[in-house]
Amino acid sequence: MGGITTRKDINEQLERIETADIVVGIPSFNNARTIGQVVRAVQAGLAKYFPNHKAVLVDSDGGSTDGTVEVVRNTVIEDFQSILVPHRVEPVLKMAVPYHGIPGKGSAFRTVFEIARALNAKACAVVDSDLRSITPEWVELLIKPVLYEGFDYTAPLYHRHKFDGTITNSIIYPLTRALYGRRVRQPIGGDFGFSGKLAEFYLSKDVWQTDVARYGIDIWMTTEAIANGFKVSQAFLGAKIHDPKDPGSDLSAMLYQVVGSAFNLMETYHAAWKTVHGSEPVPTFGFQYEVGLEEVNVDVGRMLRLFREGIKNLRELWVSVIGKGDFSELEAHAGRSDDEFCFSPALWTRIVYDYALAYHRKQLPPEHLLKSLTPLYLGRTASFVMEFRDRDQSKAEAEIENLCAEFEGNKEYLTTNWK
Amino acid sequence: MHYFISLILEPLKEMSVKFLHFAPNLLAMLIIILIGIIAAKIVRFVLLRLLKAINFDAWSDRMGLTAAMRKGEVWAKPSAVVGAFAFWLLIIIVLMAGLGALQAQPIDNLISQFVLYLPRVISAALIVVFGYIATSFIGRAILISAVNRGFHFSKLLAEAVRLLLVVLFVAMALEQLQVAPGIVVAAFSILFGGIVFALAIAFGVGGIEAAKKIIEHENEKKAEDKRDIEHI
Repeated sequence: MGGITTRKDINEQLERIETADIVVGIPSFNNARTIGQVVRAVQAGLAKYFPNHKAVLVDSDGGSTDGTVEVVRNTVIEDFQSILVPHRVEPVLKMAVPYHGIPGKGSAFRTVFEIARALNAKACAVVDSDLRSITPEWVELLIKPVLYEGFDYTAPLYHRHKFDGTITNSIIYPLTRALYGRRVRQPIGGDFGFSGKLAEFYLSKDVWQTDVARYGIDIWMTTEAIANGFKVSQAFLGAKIHDPKDPGSDLSAMLYQVVGSAFNLMETYHAAWKTVHGSEPVPTFGFQYEVGLEEVNVDVGRMLRLFREGIKNLRELWVSVIGKGDFSELEAHAGRSDDEFCFSPALWTRIVYDYALAYHRKQLPPEHLLKSLTPLYLGRTASFVMEFRDRDQSKAEAEIENLCAEFEGNKEYLTTNWK
Repeated sequence: MHYFISLILEPLKEMSVKFLHFAPNLLAMLIIILIGIIAAKIVRFVLLRLLKAINFDAWSDRMGLTAAMRKGEVWAKPSAVVGAFAFWLLIIIVLMAGLGALQAQPIDNLISQFVLYLPRVISAALIVVFGYIATSFIGRAILISAVNRGFHFSKLLAEAVRLLLVVLFVAMALEQLQVAPGIVVAAFSILFGGIVFALAIAFGVGGIEAAKKIIEHENEKKAEDKRDIEHI
């Protein structure tokens, strides 16, 4: 299948633009409500921090029907004085491109990579279209490490509510850190900066018919960058606030795509992670400051109910994956009252590693295996929420550090059983 | 005396003529069976290699076939079982072909009946194997999905669906084997229809409260002004 750049109308636009120093991509699907603000912030960021660079803003759209594309086309900054920019030397060019392939964020990013390659871009960034907290400084912080400091990849670093990003905090961050030895705090943050060279590298991979084309894109980009020795950094962007997600979005499908992508990458990069011990920080840009965060509603009762349903109904399956010993421990926890419920980091670490090993051994069809992790994940999340409900953010962060230490300390169990 | 001797020798002579007439057929049968056994062994060897190359045993583990075999006290590898099945199927075919070389009318009739029935046996066996894999897969998928949605009777639901599928596949296999086809179709229709009807009533009547709770819960959720936890 030919790339998006072979399409006649897109090709004509690219020929007119010829080259660009910076490409900023925004994946969108029915985001008319928020995308105007994101486009304005990106335009302002490019005007303020990269006035002499030729920049292209690409809206990679999944067939929106709410006027998202029109909002992108019509959004302009009329008053540059208000953002303390007298004038911009190079205009910001805009392209609204319907992406192709499997519907999902990964396919949208692929289109951005293709346009970056066609324009021979030096630095690129991607930002979500539903962001409410984006500022022009995000563009500076994601692009500058790549353009001026020689980095190939800049991951985001946000302040988030202690109960937000639980898949990141309880699985993806500890696992990525223990496997590859780099402390990228938000490996699936969603807003990234990367070099044109890395965009070209991403395009050389044949993954666009897999879950990488969906939710798996973020962990894939981060892991590919780390495992292949690209220079990785992170940038502090402040708070991450975006439009509430669709409440109907299925948690188990999300887990399946994200964790499945991480486990798949473990197969690909076994040689890269098997010898890694411990972890080291990555260079961090941006001035870190405290931010006020929105309250989060957590229904712990529902989480515990689902966990107990799992204990009751998935016994055979769980025993085959995690073994009788750990299952008995879970059963004992499930039998306690809600107030006494506790799911320790050590037990959770063993479970995640056992799931990785079961995935590697192809013990069950991947979808069944990973979706059966959902009640366990909810049990661990409920335990974390109850323990840190009345404690401050720093204590919760310390617990995540503690979990990372468990993952690093128990890594030998994973490496010795990986056959 | 001469008459008496001819009375003894005549049947022997007749028998030896008949034997000489029959001997090539017997020899042909033995050769067919011998070549057939060697061919069956070669086929089993090649099949085992092929199954190993495509990781058939690992696939069987994933699909629950190995577990089903263990439950039936079969401890050999799934690939070995498939190899043995193919071997013995070929041996039976070879035996039939060998017996055909004898050119005896009753045996010929038996063979033609067997040959006509053989495709039905094979397709019934395939339906049973495919049915088992599909039943395990769908049953497990429903169980996990129901648990993740917090459905209280997840196991019951998964078992009900599994039972329906077992009934469906067994009826299909019996229909293939033409074992009392009229009774099988009638029994299947009554049983399948009965189960579906019973489930519809059970869910319809028993689910009123649950449906009410779900709707109330959804309305409560909409009324909440605080946002939900973000997992990613």
